[in-house]
Parts: sequence; structure tokens; C-alpha cells
Amino acid sequence: MPSSERAGAARHRSATCGGCGLVCDDIRAVIGDDGGLERLIRTCPLGDAWFAQRAGPRPPAARVEGRETGIDQALDEAAATLARARAPLVYGLGQTSCEAQRAAVALAEAIGAVIDPAGPLLDGASGTAAQARGASTATLGEVRDRADIVVVWRADPVATHPRLLERLRLPAAGRALVVVDERRTATAAQADTFVELAAERDLEALSTLRAHVRGSPIVPGAGLEPLDDLAARLRAGRNVAILHHVRGHVEALALHALVRDLFGVTHAVALTLRHEANAAGAENVLAWQTGYPAAVGFATGHPRASGELTGAAVLARGDADAALVVGSDPLEHLPPPAAARLRAIPVVSVDARGTATADAAHVAFTTGAAGVHRPGVAHRLDGVPVPLRAVLSSSRPSDEEVLAAIAERVARTGEDAA
Amino acid sequence: MTLRITGGRVYDPANGVAGEERDVCLSDGKVVDDVPAHAARIDARGMVVMPGGVDIHAHIAGPAVNAARRLAPEEHRADVHDRSAVLRSGTGGTVPSTFVTGYRYALLGYTTVVEAAAPPLAARHVLAELRDTPMIDAAFLVLLGNNVALFDLIRRDPARVRDAIAWWLEATGGYGVKLVNAGGVERWKRGRGDVTSLDDEVAGVTPRQVIEAIAGAVHELGLPHPVHVHCSNLGIAGNWRTTLDTLHTLDGRRAHLAHLQFHAYGGRPGGRLRSRAPELAEYLGAHPEFSADVGQVMFGPATTMTADAPVSERLRDVTGGKWVNADTEVETGCGIVPFTYREKNYVHALQWGIGLELFLLSRDPWRLVLSTDHPNGGSFLSYPRLIRLLMDRDFRNEQLRRANKRAIQRTVLLDDLDREYTLEEIAIVTRAGPARLLGLRDKGHLGAGADADVTIYDERADREEMFATPRYVIKAGRVVVRDGELVEALAGDLLRVEAPYDPAVDDVLRDRFEERYSVQFDSYPVREPWLLEPARRIAAGRPA
Repeated sequence: MPSSERAGAARHRSATCGGCGLVCDDIRAVIGDDGGLERLIRTCPLGDAWFAQRAGPRPPAARVEGRETGIDQALDEAAATLARARAPLVYGLGQTSCEAQRAAVALAEAIGAVIDPAGPLLDGASGTAAQARGASTATLGEVRDRADIVVVWRADPVATHPRLLERLRLPAAGRALVVVDERRTATAAQADTFVELAAERDLEALSTLRAHVRGSPIVPGAGLEPLDDLAARLRAGRNVAILHHVRGHVEALALHALVRDLFGVTHAVALTLRHEANAAGAENVLAWQTGYPAAVGFATGHPRASGELTGAAVLARGDADAALVVGSDPLEHLPPPAAARLRAIPVVSVDARGTATADAAHVAFTTGAAGVHRPGVAHRLDGVPVPLRAVLSSSRPSDEEVLAAIAERVARTGEDAA
Repeated sequence: MTLRITGGRVYDPANGVAGEERDVCLSDGKVVDDVPAHAARIDARGMVVMPGGVDIHAHIAGPAVNAARRLAPEEHRADVHDRSAVLRSGTGGTVPSTFVTGYRYALLGYTTVVEAAAPPLAARHVLAELRDTPMIDAAFLVLLGNNVALFDLIRRDPARVRDAIAWWLEATGGYGVKLVNAGGVERWKRGRGDVTSLDDEVAGVTPRQVIEAIAGAVHELGLPHPVHVHCSNLGIAGNWRTTLDTLHTLDGRRAHLAHLQFHAYGGRPGGRLRSRAPELAEYLGAHPEFSADVGQVMFGPATTMTADAPVSERLRDVTGGKWVNADTEVETGCGIVPFTYREKNYVHALQWGIGLELFLLSRDPWRLVLSTDHPNGGSFLSYPRLIRLLMDRDFRNEQLRRANKRAIQRTVLLDDLDREYTLEEIAIVTRAGPARLLGLRDKGHLGAGADADVTIYDERADREEMFATPRYVIKAGRVVVRDGELVEALAGDLLRVEAPYDPAVDDVLRDRFEERYSVQFDSYPVREPWLLEPARRIAAGRPA
């Protein structure tokens, strides 16, 4: 093969994007002569930002109290901080690989921590609601190839998952796209039907639809008349997909109940439009290692799950005295009381991008990114595991390596103490 | 590391050893003829020595298992496992967390387990869970019976089916091929209902064509384990005819039937179940090319999980309780329903009785082996109780008296069926037989060259106690259970097949791929070494 061709081939690399829960694996990364990222093909704006945050200028690989240090020194300090803690919290996980999530759960167990994936706070209670009654779901290819009615409920994927409609080949003749939301969103502009629904009326609306589907129409509340028509279309559909971002537990229960009852009439599935690329992976890794998909405490030597163990709740109660934040920026999304507590305790941040949380942390690692510098696996919002690829090189350790090195040091501390 | 196990009564049916007192020598992870005099010893006097157990059909890893875990917080709260210096923590119940799954199989004396239903698209998930399931060597079977890309090849380019199957095995790290209600799941996903006959049309093919084509291809490839078939119409009255029709369709090609109990029902469709176990046991006895595992149901809690999603929809309507449905594009469905089998319930008692009938009427233990289709018929933790039911007639009769009378009267269990399995037969149905059916030549026996996987039981009259708490378990030559306690955690190997294929099939599949899947063709094959290693390759090849 002539050398010019080889060089040309090497400049285009297959890439996977972690910009949202779709984890698009059809990206091409064009590598410049300097070995850096020159441009990206097929990314959306969220994807461009995701790559830029990881491939662009970043804070140093290791910092203690904001000052650059060697990796080893930072690892020692991180391990000492976490080993010393009486009630540590491990938080985040949605923006790192399954491999790092696995290492995070192991470390949480070793230090007797509470571990909470950020996904439930960011994406609502659909996962825990599914625990109560179950759910019907499907992969994206099923929705694309079979759903003749796609209902987008309380979500605006054109903004949050910019390639979703393209990947589902929507809008399309013969397939209905219905948006239910409080205002005419960018997604609604693409839909053939928009149903306006005030934010607080989800439960009422889902229950009304469910009653229709069960064949026992109830008189809808004022303003819910358009649901009559939607119910009739759902019943007449051959395959219904509800893509949603409902937040509350009872709303999620109502949505799963609607899908369950629709299943008696037609084929029906629901998918949560998760924002973080590997939120589904975080729940899955936690579930296979502990038996529970959400917040778990290891203080008693075995996994214990409780709604009271969410990071936000633990912090707000003042129950955490140190935190390890992995692939997340909780100072940007936690409720104010929890964020205030997080600022008051020593934090170890492990993240491939610079974040507000990392800047404020006691120890901060800015790592080689899975999907940019390192390979790994992410579970798409529909649960399909997708390979993250290394398109650039970096001497920085990955999230997984940092977490494993901290765990190793914590174990040594334990042995010395014993 | 070398070890001599002395003075035990050895059951090694593959080598014709049935309870003789003899030494078993282990060195470097293998059974050897002899070890030096200074080798460590285990005094096994008064004990029974067998190869490590081999589970030919269980559900322990992957998206379905994990979705089932998520449904069971109550079970997990009630059954916790603490962290120790050598062990990770976790939770149990009918669907334990991964670490606990590995530990409990080892504590039961099992050292090899086959995950029987992996969606190929989810191979990375299956492999990642197996990586976190210590103590056991594990293999998985890939679901190919409702794969519409493969249907397309069967219809238009049948000569390529063999290469395509080998490609799928290589792409996923799989060991063998599983058919689950061939064609029926795809038909149901299309909203056209389940199949009722092997000649129903789905996507341009029929279940019969799919079974013929795939069984034929697996045979031609010479895979170490023949096609593993979950027949259509699971759980439905009269389904024994479908089972027989499937066997006729296989027409002399080797095949293993999964959880035969669930497919051995007489009666009219929609009517009451009847037992057809005697007829199927008879048929199986007369056809040496076929084998089966029983899929015994055990009274108590279970979790049904299956790629046969229409079955789960029917079960959901029975329980009215928790239910998960998950459709995987191109390949399969998945349904999960937690379930409790009750001894006073006619159907449950009959299912229980049919499983026992199959065991007790079986003529050849090498071809009808033990399973509960864990956790569908019950947890693998119930194997010791099942062994006691087979070995202890008085215990069995006592249990029969407690079960629903009308159901038991529909079986032949009260008709002088006084057979009691011997320890040798138990060794066959729990290790030697499954290993042979899987084509795992280093498993299930204690001849020189076998893997040093050994279980040592105290000889006890109560067979349930005996098999529930082995005294020693040795995995790859290391003592992992001593005096009934786990003393060391170690990682097992992935057992994967090596079946060469014509690389030209890549282009054939690539064309069909990107239109059908929502991942790129190049993303599909698992290449991550940390997911695939450590592995052992078992070569395909026509049997000599």
C-alpha cells in the first residue's frame, strides 16, 4: 500500500460520541497532522461540544487544592481522604465507561460508601418505577422499524438528543409523531400532532389515556379533550412507542401502567430519553454487582438500597463527610442545600473534562477520556452496549485506572492499619 | 500446585469409575496420574469424590438476567451476602448479583455453567457480567432463532448460513447456538401472534425452515455442542406434538432440547394440562441423536425469564404482577415474570410431576440431564433437593402426598415408579453427562488431562444436605471451598468455540446489517480483550 494512502486512512478514524444517551457510533474523526482532532463528521452540536471538552485544552491531569501535582501524590491524597472518611459518598457515573463504573462500585464497597448514580436525579424516576411493576421497552432499531405511532412525552429530543429523529427515520409518511408537552418545542415543530399539556397534569393525562385504552372512558378534565383523539390513535396503532422524560415517581408509574395496558390492545414500548451517555450502564453495573439499580449503601458490609440514600438526600442531611465524584458535575445540578454541603466536605473528582466540581475539589483528576483517548463500553439509553473508541492518544490515566489505583492504595492503608 | 485426594469413593462415570476408593491427583490445574509424595493431601476417607458440577442450561448473565435483578429488591433485601477479606458483597434470591452467583455455584460444587440465552447484540453486556461472576468457567449460547438477517439468508442465500453462524459466534465470543421458539418471537413482535405450527409463515420463512437450516449448519460446522432448542408453544396444553414435530424436523441431526418438562404437555390447546412425559421419555430413549435437560420446577419462588416473550405475556396475565418486556432489534424478544410454584396448584404440581416422570422414566442419564432452567423452574440452589427427590423414594413419596392430588393422579409417579438414582447416575446427570453433551472434553471427568475441578462431599444419608454443602471444592487445582466455606475467590475462563468461516461472509452480512441494526457493522463484533480474556477456545470440527 502506498504510504500516502496509509496516511490518509489513518487520518479518518471511526468514533463513538458520548454527547447524549444515543451514543452514536457512526462518527468519523479526522485527525490532523499534529495528532489532534481536526474535525468530526456526522456529529451534532452536542457531540461537537462533548469532543471539544475532552480533546481541547483541559486542566492538568492531577490537582490537589487546585495546584497541579504528580499523579502519585494526588492518588495518595485521594486514597487518604476517602479512607479517613466515616461516611463517604460516591456520586455520578453517567458519563464514564462501564469499566470505570465497575471500578467505582468496587471502591465504594471497599470504603463502605453510599454510591448513587446521577441518572435518577437527572432523568427522573422511570427506573425505580419500573422496579415496582416492570416495564415494556425496546431497542432503537425496533422503534425505527416497527413503531407506527411515536409519542414524545414531556421531552424535546431535537434539543437534547439532536439525532434521535434522524436515527428513527422520522418524520415519515405513514408513521405518526405526536408530541405532548407544555409548550410548542423544537420537536413539536417536527411532529404532525402537538398536544399541549400543563407540566403538572401528567398524572391526570396518563390516567385518562389509560382509562380510554382499557375501554372505560372517563370524562376528561378541562383541557384534556385532545387526549380522546390520542387514545383512539394509540388503540388503533399496530406498534406504539412512547419516548419520554417524565420526572416524578407516580408519573413514571402511570406511564408504565399505560404501556402495560396498551399491550393488551397492541404492541407497546416506552423508552426514557436519558441525557447522560452511559446512565443506563451505571444502573446496569450497579444492578449486576449489587442487585439494585439505584442508590446503594455499603456501610453495613453488604449492599443496602433505599430512597433515602440518594446523593442529594445524603448531602442535604449532612450525612456525607467526603465525596468521590466520577464523570459528573454535581455542583451544576444538585439542589442548593446538597450543593452547599458538597462544597463544605473534601471532594475527589475523577472526570475527563474540566468541571466546576473538579475546580472546587480537594483532589481532581482530569483523565484520559473513554471515547476519545481510551476504549470502553457504554450502554445506550436503550441498553444496547456500544464500544467507545480511542481516536487520540493521551498519557493521562483513564477514570478506570485512577479508581483502581485509589482502591489499591485504600486496601494497602487497611492492611497497614490491621 | 499439586494435590493428592486420598481415600475417597470416586464417582467418575466417564471413566467407568463408580464408587471405588482411589486417589485423585492434581497438578498445575489438571488431573494427573500421580504426584510426588510430598504433595499436599486431602484426606477424603468417608467422602464422595466427583468432578465439578456442570450446568448445561441456566440464566446467569446478560440484559434479561439484569432486568430480573432490578425487579427483585424484596428478594435482595432478604438475602444479603457480606464482604470479606476475599469476597465481594452482594445479594441473593432467585436472581443473585454476579459475585454471589459465582460464589454460590462454587459452594454447591459446580464449576462450569452455560448461560443459555444471550442476545448477540448484547454480547458485551453478557461478557461484562460473566467477568464479574467469579469461580466458574462459563460459556454462553447465542440466540439465532428469530434473527431476521439470518432469515433473509435462509431465504435467499442458504449456502451462506453456515458461515454466518460461525461469524456470529466469533463476533460475540459465544460457544453454541440457541433457538428459542424459532420464528415465533419475530411473528409476535410483528403483532401477528405467536406461531401455533412449525409451518406458520414469518418474514418469508417458516419455523420448520429455520430449524432445518440452522440445525443443519451447526451440524456441518461440527460445533462441539449441537443446536440447543427451546421448542415453540412452551407451557401450552398439547405442546408435546410441537416437540415431536420439532424432533421429526431435525431428522437425525443432533440436537439438545432445553427444559423438556415445559414442552411435555398433553391436553387440548386451551384445556387442562396432561402429562406426555412417558411418550417423550420413550422417544428420547429410542433416538440417540437427541438429548435434553429437564427444566424441573421446584415448589417455591422462581423468576421466569425467557427470550420467548409471548410466553411471558401469557404468564403476566396469569400473575397480574410484575412484568418486563424488552424487544431487541433483528434478533429476539425478552420477557420476565416473577413466579411462585405452589404444591397445591394443579398446573404447578403437574409440572413438578412431569419433570420427575422424565427423570424416573429416562433410560439414558447421559442424555437426560439435570436442570431447573435456573431461575425459571427454581434457583440452582434447589438442585440438592431435586437430587434427594431422585435418590430417596420415601422422601419423594412424602412430597408426592403433599402435592395437588388430581395432578399427581395424572402422572405415573404413583404407579410403582420406585426408581432411585444412584450416586453414579447423579454424577452423570450433574457433570459427566452435561460435559459430554457440551463437547467439553476437559470437564465432567477425572481422567488424566481433565481440568482439576473436583467436588468432595461428606457421605450422608440425607442427600439434600450432602449435596448442598460440599466439604471441599477444587477449581483449576486450587481449593476454593474448605469445610463448606469459600476460602479463595478466583476468576474463571470464558469457554468459547472456534469455528472457522469464509471471511467473504463479512461483506454479505455488512450489506444486510446497516439497514437492519441501529449499530454500525464495525461496532458489532466484540474486540475488547478485557471482555474476552481469559478464554479457552474449543475447536469445532466434525466428530471423528
